Amino acid sequence: MKAVQAIIFVIAAICAHSVTAKLQCTLPPVDIPKDWITMVEPCTLKMRSQVQEELQAALTYMAMGAHFSRDTINRPGFAKLFFEAASEERQHAIKIISYLPMRGELTSEIRQLIQNPTPLKESWDAGIDALKEALQLEAHVTRKIRDIIIACENPSGDGSGFNDYHLVDYLSGDFLEEQYKGQSDLASKISTLGKMLDNYGTLGEFLFDKKLLNGEL
Amino acid sequence: MKFLVVLSAFLAVSFAQYCYNDVVGSCGPRGVELKNCHAKYGAVDAVLFDLQSYVNAHISRSFDYLLMSTHFGNYEQSREGFEKLFRKLSDSTWDDAIDLIKYIAKRGGAMDFAARKPEEEPQDNAVELYELGALARGLDTQKKLAEEAFTIHSGATRRREGYHDPEVSSYLEEHFMHRQAESVRELAGYTSDLKRLLSENKQASLSLFLFDEYLQKVV
Repeated sequence: MKAVQAIIFVIAAICAHSVTAKLQCTLPPVDIPKDWITMVEPCTLKMRSQVQEELQAALTYMAMGAHFSRDTINRPGFAKLFFEAASEERQHAIKIISYLPMRGELTSEIRQLIQNPTPLKESWDAGIDALKEALQLEAHVTRKIRDIIIACENPSGDGSGFNDYHLVDYLSGDFLEEQYKGQSDLASKISTLGKMLDNYGTLGEFLFDKKLLNGEL
Repeated sequence: MKFLVVLSAFLAVSFAQYCYNDVVGSCGPRGVELKNCHAKYGAVDAVLFDLQSYVNAHISRSFDYLLMSTHFGNYEQSREGFEKLFRKLSDSTWDDAIDLIKYIAKRGGAMDFAARKPEEEPQDNAVELYELGALARGLDTQKKLAEEAFTIHSGATRRREGYHDPEVSSYLEEHFMHRQAESVRELAGYTSDLKRLLSENKQASLSLFLFDEYLQKVV
């Protein structure tokens, strides 16, 4: 019995040896000139931390979507609006993540970009409260984008004043425009719903929700 | 624990939990809460925590995939095909998380973003991986997600003490399991191909380039 085991072991060892050919998994690094990489640290750090901001907003919207989907809350229109907002915020995070490599960034410390974002809250008393908090959240994100613009336009400290025209233009043109449009849209919705609530209370929220669901607002 | 289950079953029988009884009480002079007017039935409560954890696992994995994709997008790696592959995994994992949340709500549950099953610690949680390592990590992750669906499924299928909930099982089968099997198979195929390409000749750099180009086309 022992002998059989020994023979099997030897055969297994030989087989194992013949299959475990060493793979060449990594390639040697290439020497690439670095003088095209011009972003400076105070600016890149702000851009990096914006990823977390956007994802925290995404998860807060996701929690709003979850809350308004509940059977006892039953506001499918609100839920739809917030689930869409969640995926939109995730896209914003991805837009920032994709901009940085174009400028030669994100060759290291990639894991630190996303640090377990969680929703700011998980339940709301009424639809209008969630809309108001969404507007505040957007205003907060807008302020953060403005902070990046300030840091990238005239970086202090070791940034030695490198004005990052392209990034500043991108943030002002693409991101801020979207923020301002989103904010005014939310403000209008709060206004419409607020007026309906004033006269019709719960019925107002019920009707507003169905309008949201059918894309009539 | 068993005792509690038996006790709650007893209570359930002695005070029949009907929405209609609540409504009659509420519309009459007594005025009671409508605490039985909800969508919960079957064994959804028994698998609720598992479903919530499953959502949170999807969110975390979606972020992992996004970061792996980012790594392949930088100029040093420059592997557009791998970038695309992991981006696609990130997108589908994110969409699945939202789909699961909607499902939990459909069955009368609430989402809890803090619910997490204790997970087996990964060897490392690096996202800056070389090509074959990333495929292997992707394969392991997809398998783990697929196996967790089996675990929840079995929790909903055990035929004892009212734990049977075929609606949950059927949802998992239709919306997750078949797609997961495809995803696992696809990644296993890529891993086998690339493994062979990296061992049989000394042309690793060209093999990786061509394989990446192939991924750009097929993903």
